[in-house]
Amino acid sequence: MENKISVRQICFIMLMYTAVSKLILYPTVLSYESGRDLLFSALLDFAVQGVIIWAVSFLCSRTDKTFFGLIESTFGNIFARVIYGLFALFFIICAVIPFMEQKLYVHSIFYDTLPSLPLFLSVMFFTVYAACKGFRNIGRCADICLPIFAISIIFIFSMSVGEADWSNFLPVMKTPPAKVFSASLATVFRFFEPCWLLMFMGHFKYGKGDAAKITLSYVVGALIVMLFLALFYGVYGDIACSRQFAIAKISLFFPAIDLVGRIDLIALYALEIVMLFAMVINVQMCVHCFVKCTGYENRAVWSVAVNGVLVILLLTLNTKFNAVYNVWAKWMWIVFIIFANIIPLLAWALKKGGRKEEAK
Amino acid sequence: MNGKIKKYSPVIYWVLIIALLCLFFTNDFGILDLHKTSLIVAVGIDSAGDEVEVTAQVAVPQPSQSGDSIKYIEVQGSGQTVADALNEINAKTGTYPRLLFCKLILLGENCQSEELFRMLGCFYRRNYSELTALVAMCKGKAQDMLSLPATIAPENATAIQKVLSEELKRSANVSTSTLRSIAVSNYSESRACYMPYVEAYVQGTSEPGGNGDNVGGDPGQQGGQQGGGQSGGSSQQGGQGGQGGQGGEGGGSSGQSGGSSQQGEMEFTARKTAVFADGRFAGILDERQSFALNIIENEIRLAVAQCEADGVHYTVGLRKADGGIKLKVKDGAPELTVNFKAAAQVQGAKKVLDPHNVKTDDVVRPEVLRAAEEEMKTRFERLMSACVENNCDVLGIRKLLHKQHYKYYEAFKEDILSRMTVRYDIKIESMN
Repeated sequence: MENKISVRQICFIMLMYTAVSKLILYPTVLSYESGRDLLFSALLDFAVQGVIIWAVSFLCSRTDKTFFGLIESTFGNIFARVIYGLFALFFIICAVIPFMEQKLYVHSIFYDTLPSLPLFLSVMFFTVYAACKGFRNIGRCADICLPIFAISIIFIFSMSVGEADWSNFLPVMKTPPAKVFSASLATVFRFFEPCWLLMFMGHFKYGKGDAAKITLSYVVGALIVMLFLALFYGVYGDIACSRQFAIAKISLFFPAIDLVGRIDLIALYALEIVMLFAMVINVQMCVHCFVKCTGYENRAVWSVAVNGVLVILLLTLNTKFNAVYNVWAKWMWIVFIIFANIIPLLAWALKKGGRKEEAK
Repeated sequence: MNGKIKKYSPVIYWVLIIALLCLFFTNDFGILDLHKTSLIVAVGIDSAGDEVEVTAQVAVPQPSQSGDSIKYIEVQGSGQTVADALNEINAKTGTYPRLLFCKLILLGENCQSEELFRMLGCFYRRNYSELTALVAMCKGKAQDMLSLPATIAPENATAIQKVLSEELKRSANVSTSTLRSIAVSNYSESRACYMPYVEAYVQGTSEPGGNGDNVGGDPGQQGGQQGGGQSGGSSQQGGQGGQGGQGGEGGGSSGQSGGSSQQGEMEFTARKTAVFADGRFAGILDERQSFALNIIENEIRLAVAQCEADGVHYTVGLRKADGGIKLKVKDGAPELTVNFKAAAQVQGAKKVLDPHNVKTDDVVRPEVLRAAEEEMKTRFERLMSACVENNCDVLGIRKLLHKQHYKYYEAFKEDILSRMTVRYDIKIESMN
């Protein structure tokens, strides 16, 4: 086994990429669907994902094999390639909404008057380059991004906490449970972290207690999102559902902004760097899956191809974000539950070829 | 391929850096050339039958070698919706149709007959503007109010913002509200909101007769002649004066100040409060009712109240003022408690000053404290009766009922204002 990524780096990925990928439209949609009980909808999703993250990371303690190796040893090479091919397509599906969301966010918050799509497409140079890189690179990026993430998120949170009215959450749990549950289901397509862990399997050296560390990191990421949701709803109350791009909106009422201007934009720019790395990780995973599926190891070619598909999707769906979002929210949950929930759990049923055997 | 990328990556890196630097030093990426644009800093909205008239106060940066110089002009647009009118304004000014720099939205008195969120709805749509903008209603037409020359600031949008400031809010003298606060209140269970009511008076005038709490002066000729000058769209109020006389633009002041000296400058106050129920205008709270509302709603640093004790008029400063309301349901009946606590000090007394006795004023006499409590109670009572009469829940009592006594919400939500009993728990102690 080659140790391409460390447990520390996986923990960082679980903590911050989980958080930053849910700070733009997720709070708005959840406020619309569940109202003041939005935290329960989020909790439901995070709890399910947390259990799966623990299951997958604990599985890593039982085997040194990669996920591909596990499937191969159980069902054979062809089946493993097919599964990885499907995962490659799944990661493209995972990438569509974050890319479109980023485009809208960047346009609305940073550029405003310039044409958005041509400007945003330049980010594809970055994604093509990043997707050429493997897990080692993903890990290093996570190391670099964590301090940026920590400082900027603390900055934004501290600017908004004074404006939050916590009584906005009262009365608690008066939204019909069916609505809370359907809100969870409608946003389930934002939860694909177990798949990343599945791909990392066998590429890091598992030590004692690492499953707990990875799960705990995910829990911390989830708590950051929950705190953010609480702040967002605390600041905007019943009109939260009308405020898009939540991360750029919660600190607006900080008193010093009137005097010194939008200083929160410094933190937002910094956070944007982390968001870009979080956005591109699905493309990197997709390229990894295509490499394993086809055996053709030239990552650059796959990177260009995958990004090409994404560019075509962005061009054709440029003005149809709402339609795409509705399809993802209403129908894609099935796909996400299969790939991000069921398959990671089924991985336990595969032949593991345990560590003890290797030790002998 | 990977090897080649690795080999040439430093070259690509430096080419990109140089390209970005070139872009940066040529034209700031072409994002914004401040001297070729204009920014809407305030908007006034008036109702004109089926249509709305929107007056935008636009800041136009002027090239200057002696620091910043900004000219403020008013541009008008009209249409079926505020967005129509803004579109016309934007066509006239060349400003991109967003209001990110708009810090004040002024509603004219004639908007009282309209649905509030028909007028303001545009500002909440599609992130058209940030919800930090101050909102106020004004006496007369908003168009006229925005074109009045101001005393305390070069352009009147800033002057009006000063009388709606956070500092004044902390002295209970104004019920500052933003786009966010009125939407949150209006779309809550209380379905009511409030905003300051701005009035203008001729500089240096004050009307007597407020029993110490005087607000007013000579209203002058607010409207008329200046409003007439606006019709037809773009007006450059004061612009000529500013350009004609160098002094008009000196020190970075606006062109407006050049013209203002001829027309008589105005002072603004916003101590009254316009209240809305179910999105419609419900009335105006006078200064004392507004004071009571501000005490309950805001964090107060120092408020000033007047009272009479032993036939002497006292001006009492109230520090550490802490007001609020509590709702209980006792034996199936709602009961509202209005709390108020403060530490008092005498700031003025209508009697001949005796330097030897001033020292004893540090400890406020019990009679003065009781009189101050009585005065506060009267103000709260008047506020409550205004709420009941107008069925306007600006204090958020229905919201409290929904949050804290959910099981009674359906039973009481319609008539809680008239059904509840009100207790006043007011305690004013001497500062020393």
